[in-house]
This record gives sequence, C-alpha cells and structure tokens, in this order.
Amino acid sequence: MKTLAAVCLVLALMPAVMTGGEALDTRTFVLLPVKNDPTVSFRIWFKVGSQNDPKGKEGLAQITGMMLADGSTKHNSYAAIKEHLYPLAAGYMASVGTEMTVINGRVHNDNLAAYYPLFMDAILAPAFLQEDLDRIKSQALNMLETTLRYASDEELGKAVLYNDVFAGTPYGHIVAGTVQGVRSITLDDVKSFYATHYTRENVVPGIGGGYGPELPARIAADLGGLPSGAPAAVPAPEPRPIEGLHVTIVDKDAPATAISMGFPMHLLRGTREWYALAIANSWLGEHRNQSSHLYQVIRERRGLNYGDYSYIENFPHGGSLQMPPQNASRRAQLFEMWIRPVPLETGQFALRAALREFKHLVDNGMTEGDFHLTRRFLRNYVLHYAPTTMGRLGYALDDRFYGIAGSHLELFRKMMGEITLEEVNAAIRKHWQYGNMQIAVITKNAEAFQQALVSGTPSPITYKNAKPESVLREDKEIEVFPVPVKKENVRVVKVTGVLEQ
Amino acid sequence: MQRFVFAVLIVLSVAGSMAMAKSIFPYAYTREVLPNGLTVYVIPMESPGLVAYYSVVRTGSRDEFEQGKSGYAHFFEHMMFRGTKKYPGPVYDSLITGIGADANAYTTDDYTAFHLNFATDDLEKVIELESDRFQNLSYAEREFQTEAGAVYGEYRKSITSPFALLNERMQDVAYDVHTYKHTTIGFEADIKKMPEAYDYSKSFYQRYYRPENVVLLITGDVNPAATIALVKRYYGGWAKGYVPPTIAAEPPQKAERSASVTYPGKTLPVLDIAYKGDAFDPANRLYVAAALLGDLAFGETSALYKKLYITEQKIEMLDASIPVNRDMPLFEVLARVKKETDIDSIRDDIYATIRTFQTVPVDAQRLSDLKRRQRYQFLMGLDTPDRVAGGLARFAAISGGIEVVEDYFAAMETVTPDDIRAAAQHYFVPERRTVVVLKGARP
Repeated sequence: MKTLAAVCLVLALMPAVMTGGEALDTRTFVLLPVKNDPTVSFRIWFKVGSQNDPKGKEGLAQITGMMLADGSTKHNSYAAIKEHLYPLAAGYMASVGTEMTVINGRVHNDNLAAYYPLFMDAILAPAFLQEDLDRIKSQALNMLETTLRYASDEELGKAVLYNDVFAGTPYGHIVAGTVQGVRSITLDDVKSFYATHYTRENVVPGIGGGYGPELPARIAADLGGLPSGAPAAVPAPEPRPIEGLHVTIVDKDAPATAISMGFPMHLLRGTREWYALAIANSWLGEHRNQSSHLYQVIRERRGLNYGDYSYIENFPHGGSLQMPPQNASRRAQLFEMWIRPVPLETGQFALRAALREFKHLVDNGMTEGDFHLTRRFLRNYVLHYAPTTMGRLGYALDDRFYGIAGSHLELFRKMMGEITLEEVNAAIRKHWQYGNMQIAVITKNAEAFQQALVSGTPSPITYKNAKPESVLREDKEIEVFPVPVKKENVRVVKVTGVLEQ
Repeated sequence: MQRFVFAVLIVLSVAGSMAMAKSIFPYAYTREVLPNGLTVYVIPMESPGLVAYYSVVRTGSRDEFEQGKSGYAHFFEHMMFRGTKKYPGPVYDSLITGIGADANAYTTDDYTAFHLNFATDDLEKVIELESDRFQNLSYAEREFQTEAGAVYGEYRKSITSPFALLNERMQDVAYDVHTYKHTTIGFEADIKKMPEAYDYSKSFYQRYYRPENVVLLITGDVNPAATIALVKRYYGGWAKGYVPPTIAAEPPQKAERSASVTYPGKTLPVLDIAYKGDAFDPANRLYVAAALLGDLAFGETSALYKKLYITEQKIEMLDASIPVNRDMPLFEVLARVKKETDIDSIRDDIYATIRTFQTVPVDAQRLSDLKRRQRYQFLMGLDTPDRVAGGLARFAAISGGIEVVEDYFAAMETVTPDDIRAAAQHYFVPERRTVVVLKGARP
C-alpha cells in the first residue's frame, strides 16, 4: 500500500479544480477516517430534494442530480469521463431523495489522484448540455411510464400511497416526479435549480475511509468555489388529516393484487419513543425478514405471497435492498404496511388479514415474550445495517440531518438495553391507530374490488391443500373482519393516468 | 433468484496496492475437506465481532433434469427454513431472530446458497443450527404445500418484469435438451403442480443435500482452527450419498434461431442476442478472452455504446453478459431500444461490432485498462465478510473451491489482442446464435 504521506503528496500536487470563493469550514464536515481502509468514500450532501421541485416541474431535483452524476462537465464530455474512470474501477452517482441529494463515490487510494478532479468537476463544473438532458429525461420518463406503471406493481402501489398521503404538500409527488413534470423540464430549469440549491451554504461534505489529513482541507477549498446563496427553506410538510379509510384502486391488467397502506406519523429517529416504536414495528413487519409477524400470518401460514412488511421510516427501493437505505432522511414520515402481490381472488382477504393483525397489536400491545425476543434481535441486527465505510458515512450524514449528537446505530443498540415493554406499548398507543388510513391497491377488476370493499362482503378463502385447524378457524374471523370504507372514500383510477401530473 | 454475470461478480472486493500484490485474493485462508467430503474454507478478515457463513449447495436449476420438475432447487431453498424435529421451523426462526442474524438464501442456475451474518459469539450456535437442518430437515406435506404458494407468489411478483419474460423465452428457445432450458424459478406449469410433489421433494433433498455437494465459506472475525473443530463436531456425522444428476449435454447448435415475445403491458422493446458459450474454465483461453471481450465491445467505453447510447440516443441500455457457469451458458448482448423501428439497425450495428472484433485486434491500452479495472473492482468489493463469501460462492459452487479465482485472474493477465479476436471468431458466429425480441402489447 502506498503510504498516506505519498497519497497526500499526490493530492497536494494536483492543481485545484476551481479557485474562487473562500474555503468552507472543515469543522462542518462529516468525517469518518478508517485507518486500514485502502479506499476513500465520498458523500457530498446538498440540502435539496424533490420537496424543492417547483410546481409543474416535478422530477427536477432528480434530473438535476442525474445531470451532475451522469452528464458532461466543462472539461470532459460524458464519454470522456467514462473513459477516464474506466481503469480506476471507480464512479460516482447522485442519490436524490425527498430532502437530501448526495453525490457519492468511492475509489481505491491508488487511484485517488486521478479520480478526485473528475469527481469534483461533476459537482463544480457541470456542462449542462441539451444532449445529456435528452438522454436523462428519456430514462426518467421510461421509469415512470413503463417500469413503474407496468413492470412493478408493488413499487407502483407505494408510489400511489405516498402521493396520496402527502398530497398538497411538497412531499406530494415521488422523487421520480410526474410524466408531465419531467416532460416540461428544460435546460434552463436545470441550470436555475442548480444555481439556487448547489451552493456553499447548502453543502455538507462527508469523507470516509483511509484518506490523508490534507483531503478535507482540499475539499473545503474546492467546494468553496460553489456560488453563495441560501435557498428559501421549505417548511416541514403538514399532511392533511386522514378521516376514515381512504382507498385508491389502480385498475390494470395485473396478474396479482399489490397493496400498500399507511398514515402520516410525527416521530423521528433519535428520540427514545422512536426506538420503542421500532421494536413494535420490527415485530410486526421487519423488512424482508421472516421474523415479521405479517410475513408469518400471510406468507408463512397461508402461502399467499412472497412477503409482508411494515415501516416507520422512509424506505425507498425496498424490493432490492435488504437493509435500510442511507440518506433517505425526511422530516415527515409515514407508517406503512407493504403486502406483496397476492392472487387476485385473495386481495380482499389479504387486506383484511393485515388490518386485523395491526388492530390486534394496537389494541393489545406487544406481549412480554415478543418484546424480549425482538429487542434482542434488533440489538445485533442493527450491526448489519452498515458494514462498510460508505454505509457508516451515510449514517453519519443522517445523524447530522436528524440532529443526533452521537450515532443513531449506537444509540439504537443502547436503547435495546433500556427500553421497557411499557414504553413500547405507550408508543404504539400514541402513534398508531387503525381507523384513519390511506390504502393503495393495484389490481385487475378494480370495480369489483371496490364494490366488495364498500359492501363489506365476506371474503372467504379456499386452499388447494390442507391447513391446520387453527389457520382455518382464524380465516373465519379474517374473512368478515370489518374494513369500514365509505363509497365516497374510494377512488378508482386507470393505470395510464397514474403519475401523469 | 440470481442470474450471475461476470461483470457483476467482479464488482466485489480490499487491501494494499495492486502494484505489490502477488495474488489477487488479499486474505490468507484455511481449507479443510472432512472425511465425508464436506469442504470448508475459513477466511479471517478484519471485521470486529462479525462473521459471514455461507453454505453453498452445488445444486441449482441446472440439476433439475426430470420432466415437469423445474423450479425445485429454488423451491427447496424455501423448504430449508421449515425446520427439523429438534428445531422445528418456528423454533429455528426464533433462535435466528434471538441472535439478530441477517439470514437469507438464494438460488441460481448452478447453486443454492444459504447465508447468515451474525456476531462471532454466536458461531457455535449457528454451526449447530445449520448442520442440523442440512442433515435432518423434516416437514409435513401441508407445510410443503403452503410454501408452494409462496413460491408461486414469487413467480407472480417477478414475471411482471419484461426482462424475466424475455429471459424465460430466450432460454427455452436457445436450448433443446440441457436443463438451462428453464429459468431458475421454473416453468409456470411446473410451479403450479408443485403442491402435488411432496415425495419428490424429499428425494431431491436426499440426493442433493449431501456433504460431498456442499462447500462452507466462513469469513470474518473467526479463528480457523477453532472453527474447523466445530464444523467437524457438528457436520462430521453427515452421511455421504450425493447422487449426481443426469444432465443431457446440449448438442451443437447448427443454425441461427429467432423468436419474439410480447409483454402484456407497456415496455420499451428489448433486443436479446445470445450465443452459445463455454463453461467457466480459467484454462480455456478463449473463455477468458470472451469474458473481457464482452466489456470491450459492448461496455460503457465501447464505440458502440458511445454511438447508440450517448450520441444517437437510440437505446436506453446496452449490456453484455459473459456468465460464470458450470455448463454451456449463453453469452448475451442486450439492448433496450427506444423505437421499435430501430431494432433492425441496432441489431446490424451489434453484428458490425462483432465483425470488427473478429478482424481488427483491440487496442492494447484498452485491454490493459480493462484488466486493471477488473483487478481493482474485485479488490474493492472484498470489504465485508458477507461480500467476500458472497463473491466466492459461485466459484466454490462451480469448481468445488475458491482457488480458481487466482487461476482466472492469472489467465486474464495473459490475454492478448489476438486472443480477443480469436474469441470473437469462435463464439460470436451465426450458428451459435439465438435472437429474441421483446415488445410491449401496448403502444
């Protein structure tokens, strides 16, 4: 390995990418040095996201992030950047969320000197070419018009849920935006958005791994070249209160029924109550884990689908991630249950089963046994949340976002030794309820689904194989479990109109 | 469910400067083969208090040779969570939950992997639990039938992807007799019939879940001698009994094939051009050269990518996959096309690119850059116990060990521009080719 001193020397010799404004204060940086890590991880956080999309330009934050990470710079064409990065086995990307945009990249120390100017150029010197915008917009539209509408009903269900829950607020459209919004985005929109939001007051650089002591100062000097400016703060969203059960049914030629449901929640990580509720949520529906109770009831005992989970924090890309994402932080969260696609004829039954389990938990709280098991589980399970430097750096940025003085992951483990069953059940009573909820259903025969739902018709289930008596007995209760939905609270929409504007 | 491509695998892997590295794999390891044939690798690495534990069963959808029984390797992956007499499913689940392990499994064409990440203190408990379910799995017919429902649910969730549909069609058309004819999740008709095959499932377990057919990869904060002693204690009594499947060899393809498939929704068209390739073999110079050729000809710095993706913007995606497989896989070039009317010209561009590589030696600097890139990608990906074990799993499944990684990278270093040309001439010819075009039913 090259010595750190050698790396420092290489960096010191590199010409500054940009000169201009005063250097940033490195004391504001998020630093995570890891002595034996032969790589360097960067996460350059800009305090901007889809909440900042102007009306009618939904998707602009995402497109702008992609223009930085996936476009030409003033010094290199997009093709030339790919050429330069190629032998370095390194790249960079933009992760755009509702409130955060992070330009991140990782490189082996051997290749840092060649990588660094390319990475900084992406942030400081984007070329904003029309041909790059055309390519990126085409991708974004394909994501909305074909992938989301047709290729992943469960992701579509979540998108519909989020847009419904946060309708009328700056969170009221998914990060990918809307078809009309993306279509309308021009190069001037991107330039203006960049000028407003990619400023020295709006950036928090994060650096992790085996970097030398001079790197933060170097980044401070280079990012000091960003224009000055403090964009107007977006107030935290105040989603409208949900009264009763509201349902959006997306009608499409779907092979199965996908369901997502939830309601807004005013609770953020870092507070003792959050960790208490995290225990209840883990028991109810730990993400992609068979310890999830919903999973046990719907998949394991009845074989209706591939999995069933619940959330108290934003969890984008749940279909492909095993562990929670980083830098998806938000000031407003929702409680959410995700029922993966079930056979069409069991859609009503699965919805009832999930709501019934949730009601049971809200009404009765956790049992002593489940509480102890889940607390023990989480204490070790969170060790797997961020095994890499890049992951831990992401968490460190999120700690800054949420104003957590130490580390959320350490606090999480600590809390698992302190939180009591009484605290968990108090948090459930305070933050969870089952009477007011937004439900998104993606299914075939939407009208029939609506009628069955509104009329409260029982939804008996039959199996092709024998089931234990206990399951059959429980089925009798599930099939008539009341889901009181008023007709005026059900909306049926065609898939072709979803995410349109 | 995983379909493995070399380019993906290589994105794994950490330590010092490449210039000084004698071998590509940066960690020292211990290998032990028990008298019953179970192979164990223990790979210590810096990861305070954490261990990754992979049980690699060298059986995948490739081994499903009996008519009407596609999808069983994957189905069996599910059944392995149903428990034993000593630790019934719910007890196994609660023990795994109690130690806070990150536990899961996946199935591919060539193997099935069961993996756990957990705290070092729980190593013995995990070894006991894993050895128990591998030797003593026990489930009732109705549990089996319920799980069949979950598998069908997985199929339903997956098949809404145009790529899943395309892949299903491609494999069916390209192969006549080899078991790669079906995808890992299996034919839908076979999945529907799964609940009826309880007895068959037990025979599947008896034949394939045997020590000679399994490789353990244990990485992280572990002591090799103590770990191997535990493995011997808990797995030592596992009886041999592996019955190799009868896999029909695919006869040489004689003429080009083509097919189309309609996706029942809206999608951009996808053009899939596949060539019968060769099994993974570092000693096969043509194979190793082909693995590099895929990236040189169709990767993101290739002339074709620049033309179609960056300049003309006729495609949304261009990708080549030269897979790592036990038998003859398909070497594929995939293009997601923006306009249906461009499909033919893009196909011609792909053929023209292949002709160029068949006649003009690739630039030596580009080849050198690619080798460097692959070494660094491998190295940078080996940064957690899970990634180390996960990255080695396919090699262990195909060859029975991890030594082939060194062999592969050593062979890669010797590949010349002439080898690249020879690989293009050998594999990328019309008589090895199958072309499938996917289009959406909706405009």
